[in-house]
Amino acid sequence: MTVGLPHFMALSAVLFSVGLYGVLTRKSTIMALMCLELMANAVNINLVAISRFVTPAEMTGQFFAVFSMVVSAAEIGLGLALVIAIYRRRKTVELGAMEELKG
Amino acid sequence: MGYVVLIPLLPAIAFAALAPLPRSVRNRALGVAVAAVATSLALSVAAFLAVTTEAGHGADVAYHASVVFAHAGSAELGFGLLVDPVSAVMLLVVTVVGLGVQVYSLGYMHRDERRGWYFAVLSLFTAAMLTLVLADNFLQLYLAWEIMGLCSYLLIGFWHEQEAPRRASIKAFLTTRVGDAGFAVGLLIMYATTGSFAYDTVLGGLAWAPGAATAVALLFLFGAMGKSAQFPLHVWLPDAMAGPTPASALIHAATMVAAGVYLVARALPIFEASGVALTVTLVVGSVTALLGGLLAAVQHDIKKVLAYSTISQLGYMFMALGVGGFAAGMFHLVTHAFFKSLLFLGAGVIIHAAHTQDMREMGGLARHLPVTTGTFTIGALALAGIAPLSGFFSKDEILTVLLHEHQYVAFGVAIAAAFVTALYVARLWFRVFTGPVQSEGLREGHAEMLAPMVVLAAITVALGFASPAFGEFVAHHGEWPAPLMALTSTGVAVGGLLLGWFIFGRRSRVLNTRVIKQRTGPLYDVLVQKYYLDLTYDYFIVQPYARLASGLWRFDAGVIDGVVNGAGALWRQVARLGALVDARAIDGVVNGVGTAVRSAGDRVRRIQVGRVQVYQGLMAGALLLLMTWVIVKGA
Amino acid sequence: MLLSAIVFLPLIGAAVVAMLPASRANGARWLAALVAAADLVLATVLVVRFDVGAGFQFVEMAEWVGQVGIGYHLGADGISVSMVFLSALLTFLAIVASWRIEKRPGAFFALLLLLEVGMNGVFLALDFVLFYVFWELVLVPMYFLIGTWGGPRREYAALKFFLYTLFGSVFMLVGIVALYLHPAGGTFDLLVLAEAGLPASFQWWVFAAFFLGFAVKVPVFPLHTWLPDAHVEAPTAASVLLAGVLLKMGTYGFIRIAMPILPDAFAAWQPALAALAAISIVYGAALAFAQTDLKKLVAYSSVSHMGFAMLGIAAGTAEGIAGSVAVMFSHGVVTGMLFLLVGMVYERTHTRMIADVSGLSARVPVAAGLLAFASFASLGLPGLSGFVGEFLSLLGAWGSTMWPGWVVIAAVGVLLAAAYMLWMVQRVVLGVPSTAVEGIDDLSGRELFALVPLAVLTLVVGVWWDSLLRFVDPAARALAAVVGGG
Repeated sequence: MTVGLPHFMALSAVLFSVGLYGVLTRKSTIMALMCLELMANAVNINLVAISRFVTPAEMTGQFFAVFSMVVSAAEIGLGLALVIAIYRRRKTVELGAMEELKG
Repeated sequence: MGYVVLIPLLPAIAFAALAPLPRSVRNRALGVAVAAVATSLALSVAAFLAVTTEAGHGADVAYHASVVFAHAGSAELGFGLLVDPVSAVMLLVVTVVGLGVQVYSLGYMHRDERRGWYFAVLSLFTAAMLTLVLADNFLQLYLAWEIMGLCSYLLIGFWHEQEAPRRASIKAFLTTRVGDAGFAVGLLIMYATTGSFAYDTVLGGLAWAPGAATAVALLFLFGAMGKSAQFPLHVWLPDAMAGPTPASALIHAATMVAAGVYLVARALPIFEASGVALTVTLVVGSVTALLGGLLAAVQHDIKKVLAYSTISQLGYMFMALGVGGFAAGMFHLVTHAFFKSLLFLGAGVIIHAAHTQDMREMGGLARHLPVTTGTFTIGALALAGIAPLSGFFSKDEILTVLLHEHQYVAFGVAIAAAFVTALYVARLWFRVFTGPVQSEGLREGHAEMLAPMVVLAAITVALGFASPAFGEFVAHHGEWPAPLMALTSTGVAVGGLLLGWFIFGRRSRVLNTRVIKQRTGPLYDVLVQKYYLDLTYDYFIVQPYARLASGLWRFDAGVIDGVVNGAGALWRQVARLGALVDARAIDGVVNGVGTAVRSAGDRVRRIQVGRVQVYQGLMAGALLLLMTWVIVKGA
Repeated sequence: MLLSAIVFLPLIGAAVVAMLPASRANGARWLAALVAAADLVLATVLVVRFDVGAGFQFVEMAEWVGQVGIGYHLGADGISVSMVFLSALLTFLAIVASWRIEKRPGAFFALLLLLEVGMNGVFLALDFVLFYVFWELVLVPMYFLIGTWGGPRREYAALKFFLYTLFGSVFMLVGIVALYLHPAGGTFDLLVLAEAGLPASFQWWVFAAFFLGFAVKVPVFPLHTWLPDAHVEAPTAASVLLAGVLLKMGTYGFIRIAMPILPDAFAAWQPALAALAAISIVYGAALAFAQTDLKKLVAYSSVSHMGFAMLGIAAGTAEGIAGSVAVMFSHGVVTGMLFLLVGMVYERTHTRMIADVSGLSARVPVAAGLLAFASFASLGLPGLSGFVGEFLSLLGAWGSTMWPGWVVIAAVGVLLAAAYMLWMVQRVVLGVPSTAVEGIDDLSGRELFALVPLAVLTLVVGVWWDSLLRFVDPAARALAAVVGGG
């Protein structure tokens, strides 16, 4: 069986859904961040796969994926720093406990 | 004749000069006001002479000047001065009575703290009345009319620290304003129909359509009814007696109340173009003449007797005008101005001397106040219509013209009213001047109070003989009263006086002779008989008539005045209700909108739960919907 | 340049006054007074150099946002001139009367000057966008004036005033844009639009939109309920300008915008306008009579008087429009006097309740005399300016096509005005002095300085009507011709 584009896209979709589900339901902020990373990586897979299978000559998708990874790295660094700051204040990183923006 | 403008201007300047001064200075500057009126009098005499010379040449108008003070659209509103026979006569009336009242007031008010302001307002009033009389268009008449209303308000309410004058002055202003509203609408119709307010245009041979003429005339009459205290807008005049007596002499005898008559007289061509208006005027005048007379006969307050008497006499003037008797109406206006103001001034001295206004507490003033008694008697007899005083001639002219126009019912009413007039005159006279003295320290008035009274009395005596000349002057038709008419009216008047003497003059004598009765046995029966007669008369005449009259008075105060007061109370309730509606309903809607917005906002606010994951969930859901829509649309 | 100077001089003044430090309060006062006086001088120059027979003058025209056709267009006709003069005079006198304000005077005076910019601008603008900018501009300073220096319920009153007026203005904006987008319109210039022939059905809707905007401002029954609260809670100077000038912006809007540009719609709306005017007159008078608070009484009397202005407008005849502007001018002057006097009484007695204040004439004769004078002017006594407008409005209304019954009702309103004013005078000016009145001082020289010019103006216009009508009548006649004489 040849592993073609549909398989990669299916994998990407599954990973994205798992990540989405995780973001929406995890109590811990760190878990939510990890699931966000999962979603981002799922998108990366999709990008690389489409680029490889549809336009192999131009490596647009791969470039995009590399950019995305760099941005994700920066963003996760920021996110974790925020988590540490919040933990110092609140002694917890439970998402449900942070309701200050309640209207 | 350019000096004519000074006639109203000088008193106006006197007012402008006195009004802003501080009280102490003003109180010492009274001479300014008196000098202004005196000068106006002199100029009025000159103007009158000018008119008589013109009349000799056959012309009517001696002087007419005007200036436009407003341009609005097609309206050109002017301020003018017209000196013709009618206005010339009125000038004399206003300035003579005005000067007399001011001189009298120098004595009457000499201890009042605010006399300076009093003289200032008197000056303004005189200026306004003179402007009204000299007007050459109805708008100017209306403007001056309203200013006089203001002065009346200020003078009636002069002693405003007390409740009664305050109430009376508002009542006067508002009641006359009801009439004024009608007058104003009449002016609007006049302008819409003729495009002008000027006498020249509106009265000079313009063909009035009966409908418009009736509307304008009736509305003008309505205004006149307010100002001249005709039934049923007369209710303010008796209350207005709360003001200083000399002010009443000027305003409520001679001038302001005469303004209504003057208006109708000037507008008579319009009344004649409508037939209805004349009839209504006649009816209003008749009812008022009789009603006023009857009410005067039951008053105990001397000023109120004079007030109702004025109402009644004004009714006579309207009766005359109601049959087109221009000269008769105007002549009675002139004679009434002089003798009524005389009576008021006399009443002032009497009240001062007796320290009361209630006639039941007065008596025997004749011995102690000779000058007052003499002049007052002259005025009283003129009022009753006794020859050869001026009141007799003017009343006769009215009776003549009523008969001449075949208005027999009105004639009958006029005769009856004349009888009643004589009756209440006698009642007043006997109560006040004869009988036991009930007050202490009766003293005659000061010289400055008596002098004007003497002058007015002299005029009252002499003026009657000018009756035909007056008619000739004003309406190109004057004559002496017919002997039959003279006899009839004199008979009626004397009859009234006799009855008055019988009822009111003799009773005191009967009481006085109780002592004599005990000493003279044979005379006892006679006296008793007379006493029985007295009782009979009392039972059959005095009491029924007293019942009728006080019934009428209660009707007047309760029903008519009640409507006035009721209207005020009703309006107060309406206003309160309106305020409630405004605050609850109308404003309620506004506030309701605010509240609705706020509660809607509260509800929408619930989306903001503050929890990130809920927001993410919402975003994901929305994204899903969007994607589905795009896919479906694409398919 | 004269018109731009009149409009923007107070802006410069406001900026400078606002930037002065709090320690220089006295400097702020004097500067503000100076700027207002200078503006008044400029307004007087405008009055003197205005040629009464020659239409719009001192026109300034420049392109502002060319791509959309918005121009900077200022011009003055007789009506504008009278209103600008009123605005400049009242602003100056309001500053003088508020001299001794203690709380943040710099900000107070700066806001008053800013208000003047808006007021003058509205009366002189001939471009819609410019008009709208100035119209909205007056809301902000007034909101702060009421909300910061006002009475106990000031926040509510300020917010109500702001939102209610804004509500109306939003519809006005819709109307403006509609006119621009319509093929027959296509411009924001008022004079050009007046020449355009817009279809009648379109006009009707635009008129409705404008009606809402202007009717709230006038105010016309039943959109009037913001007025009593705003007036009562506002500080004296703000009340003077609110009643004296801001209300006139509403009727001015009808005269300058709604009537020339939408004549057919005006004819269709005339019966409704006449009815609302008559109702406002009587309703305002009734409510004034029921008041126990002196300032509220004067506020409701404003509703009644502006009803007369609306009646003259609804008439659509030259006499009516001239009468309407006369009412506007006179009411500004007389009500300005009344509010100043009420404020002065309040400063001394610390109460505005009619029940608590009586017998002023015995203790403070000058103040009492001026209050009585202003009251008689307000009730329309002939010889004072109030009568001029009322009579001409009635005259114009009677000669128009409206149902005469409205005119009769309005005439009754004249009687009712006497009722509430005299009732007030009887209680407050006459009678025995109450405890609140004992021991108070009469008017100071500064206060007299603020009042006497208004009294003189009332008298002059009242006796010589043409002093005002010279300016107003030509414009009124031109407008009546456009509207078809009602």
